[in-house]
Amino acid sequence: MNSSGGASIRPQIHFGCLGATLNPGGAHNTDGMPPGKPPREDTMDTQHLIERLQQIVGADNVLSSDMDLELYSYDSSLERARPDVVVLPGSTEEVSKIMALAHTEKIPILGRGSGTNLTGGTIPIRGGIVVHFSRMNRILEVDFANRTVTVEPGIITLDLQNQMAKHGFVYAPDPASQKVSTIGGNFGENSGGPHCLKYGTTTNHILGAEVVLNDGTVIRTGGKSQDNPGYDLTGLLVGSEGTLGLATKIILRLLKAPEAYKTMMAIFETIEDGANTVSEIIAEGIIPATLEMMDNIVMKAVEKTIKVGYPLDAACVLIIELDGMPDGMDEKAELIMQICRRNNVREVKVAKDEAERAVLWAGRKGAFGSVGQVRPSYLCCDGTVPRTRLPEVLAKVIQAGKKYNLPIGNVFHAGDGNLHPLIMFDDRNPDELHRVHQLSTEILNICVDAGGTISGEHGVGLEKLQETHLIFNEADLAYERKIKRAFDPEGLLNPGKMIPETAGPAR
Amino acid sequence: MVDNAQLIEDLSGIVGQGSVVSGENDIAAFAVDGKIPRAVAYPKNTPQVSGILRYANEKNLGVVPWGSGSKICMGNPPARLDLVVCTRRMNHMKDVDVANLTVTVEAGVKFLDIQARVATEEDRCYLPIEELTRQADEMICSDRSHSGCFLPIDAPYSCSATIGGVIAGNSSGPRRLLYTLPRDLILGIRFVAPTGEIIGSGGKTVKNVSGYDISKLMVGSAGSLGILCEMTLRLLPLPETMETLLFSFGAFSEASAFAEGILNTRLLPAAVEVINAGAFEYLGIDPATGFFPGAYVVAVALETFTAPAQRMRNELKARARSSGIPDPAVFGEDAHRLFWLGVSDLNPAAAQAHPRMLTLQMNYPISRWIDTVKFAVDTLTAAGIAHTLLVHAGSGVCGINLLTGAEEKTAASVQKLLDRCREFQGNLVVHRAPAELKPALPVWGSPGSDFPVMKRIKQMLDPKGIMSPGRYVGGL
Repeated sequence: MNSSGGASIRPQIHFGCLGATLNPGGAHNTDGMPPGKPPREDTMDTQHLIERLQQIVGADNVLSSDMDLELYSYDSSLERARPDVVVLPGSTEEVSKIMALAHTEKIPILGRGSGTNLTGGTIPIRGGIVVHFSRMNRILEVDFANRTVTVEPGIITLDLQNQMAKHGFVYAPDPASQKVSTIGGNFGENSGGPHCLKYGTTTNHILGAEVVLNDGTVIRTGGKSQDNPGYDLTGLLVGSEGTLGLATKIILRLLKAPEAYKTMMAIFETIEDGANTVSEIIAEGIIPATLEMMDNIVMKAVEKTIKVGYPLDAACVLIIELDGMPDGMDEKAELIMQICRRNNVREVKVAKDEAERAVLWAGRKGAFGSVGQVRPSYLCCDGTVPRTRLPEVLAKVIQAGKKYNLPIGNVFHAGDGNLHPLIMFDDRNPDELHRVHQLSTEILNICVDAGGTISGEHGVGLEKLQETHLIFNEADLAYERKIKRAFDPEGLLNPGKMIPETAGPAR
Repeated sequence: MVDNAQLIEDLSGIVGQGSVVSGENDIAAFAVDGKIPRAVAYPKNTPQVSGILRYANEKNLGVVPWGSGSKICMGNPPARLDLVVCTRRMNHMKDVDVANLTVTVEAGVKFLDIQARVATEEDRCYLPIEELTRQADEMICSDRSHSGCFLPIDAPYSCSATIGGVIAGNSSGPRRLLYTLPRDLILGIRFVAPTGEIIGSGGKTVKNVSGYDISKLMVGSAGSLGILCEMTLRLLPLPETMETLLFSFGAFSEASAFAEGILNTRLLPAAVEVINAGAFEYLGIDPATGFFPGAYVVAVALETFTAPAQRMRNELKARARSSGIPDPAVFGEDAHRLFWLGVSDLNPAAAQAHPRMLTLQMNYPISRWIDTVKFAVDTLTAAGIAHTLLVHAGSGVCGINLLTGAEEKTAASVQKLLDRCREFQGNLVVHRAPAELKPALPVWGSPGSDFPVMKRIKQMLDPKGIMSPGRYVGGL
């Protein structure tokens, strides 16, 4: 095994009801350190470290019991590893002191929010300090005149969005985890969601940040004032998975809330008809706020649990939502329905009011949860392809599922080409588990071959380290390592993530 | 240091005979802030750029990349200059995928040509098609969509700029209000690092979180981190309706109050631009349009579907009437295109008349736009400096050309404007100035607390400092 930080390379797996019983083994479990885990270079003993941290944040805000460390040993991926200590800072100054301490003592350090990360980005595979931003969750300044809101990283995304909505403003990025995830986590992962074709991803909505560097230095990047001269460090830091610095304040862009929405649901007999409808809507010059699709397997799962009235014999459902000024929106909706009919739609509905809109959305929002009811576990891939390649890629994905004899449900952001094939399996069956991993790698290969990429919105983290070789050559990776070194020459910030530390297998 | 004859021979080995020039006239045209390079190379593809930079890094040659040269005046005078790398021959559109709403183009492709290439089958284009067919008729292809697309960048120097230069400068114009900045429209990039490696990042998808977002680092890096070779950019469908409403005012206070009122509605104009008479003069507006500006003009661009455009037009007219402001002139379609093309090319037009003019860009938080611009107008007027003014109201950015006036007062006035912007965490960049004045000017404004990190990045990625030596922020 090559030394990619000791992480076994697995795709992200969501466990249904059995998640709690499965422990793949972590750094501090009885089986010792995972293979490839290098010994830490620091000499400070853990008790001394705890005392020093207590001096910085107070005794109540340092966690080090067995149970605490176990609680911080996992995220929404399969990986596990315990930190040596968890610290809950209350201010930038405290974060700065913690970072300076880690730097002086050469201790690995990792910032995190709610741990909804799907790729192991929040797993402390080298132990060390985990900085949990739960106490730094305030809205620091609402500035509607400048269309910005400045927050601490620990604020929950949806809480912030609900606050802003009361004033007629929108913070656009809405990853599926928004009820739990934090803005700091969204910053680190450059989170996506269903609105990206029209509104872009998290990076397009972050104007600046206060960032604590590896040695505790505090800098400000970007700001309320745009076009500041110099390199776009904000753009580089967003999506850097906590490997370059820790954001302690984040300035977000606010948009005026759309005056009107129009939500439609169309049922198709074939996936091709649905995909062609998407292409024709866009060719007509219309960019809907969302274009979300689900296939038959997922529709059936949804019907079993939520009952939104999907026909069980249809191939797919497409949810289309327009937003913006209401003027002419009815005509555009009519045009979209004509396009649906041209593409053999079985049925198309328009939500007449907010309640009906909520019903149309309920199925989509509940899709992942419903799939968990069908089989004990599912694996969600995150490959992304140019939108126009979707029909062909989906066909290949379904084919690949047959080859490995595993059912795949497809829920995807059809507007931006982000697939989420859900491979359903029973994790108690080792043979199935093995096939799941093979199938997932094959799906990512299919995406890359179609001009796409291995991750649209979940990140690389630990689990796609090897797959980075599918899209990057050694020069690209060496370049990324140089960027990492410019920020963190000692390699203490979230070590072992995002960039494979050594060259990949010959291809 | 390698001698000139050897330099030409070595470079010819990389890009081919005839693609390196060193004749007196050939190199004089590529002077950067008055400094003349020893040679100019014209690579035809990315591997050749890689060969050039590998060589330059080995021999420690100072290199400046060059597209059309429209923005070459940006930055400090180069600390040293051996070689200009001109991207003129790298002018292929590698992938035009209007259905996917992306284009992948080489750096030397003209910005205008991209717009022509993605226009409708009937030549309905974002920019005036007369301008385009002349330059790009070979690009009118059969795979254009019937509703048409455009690259939603409102680039200054639209008539000459290459896409590489637009991205290297993160260039934007009035319509960034609706379409944001190039940094938000770039999906993928291929470039050659200062040490010669070809680096790729991103791709053809809106969502992509595989590795660091290196496109963001390169956008706006102004040739200091390597040479951009290919970029993938987002397209949008062409707006159903394109029109501009021009309102005339006697004073800045009236113009700014009206513009601010528009920004506080729920309307979604593409631009709300405040233009002074000094700037309007250079926009090349045909007097036959019957529009004669007052001291200030507020130009509102509407680029959307027909029904919302109609509502915006009606509401804007009603707002004007209720404040006793005369009805606007309405420029539809071609007049609209020509108007904004004129705005994008204000600087070269003004520079023809005033070759020694200074071009400034002030930035500040959106909410400070009225008092900051008023301060600038008052300061310049008091110093007797004639100026053009393009205020991107709603974006927190203002472009100023200092045309004439007591030259000894210029540096002091620029410093005053910079100080004012810094009060609100803004900044000021001198985009253009006579080379000999630059040492006394804050060319890149005042650095922030993140400058040490920029320095570390530059040193890590360009250890010998060969790329645009000394030209970037803080002398990087």
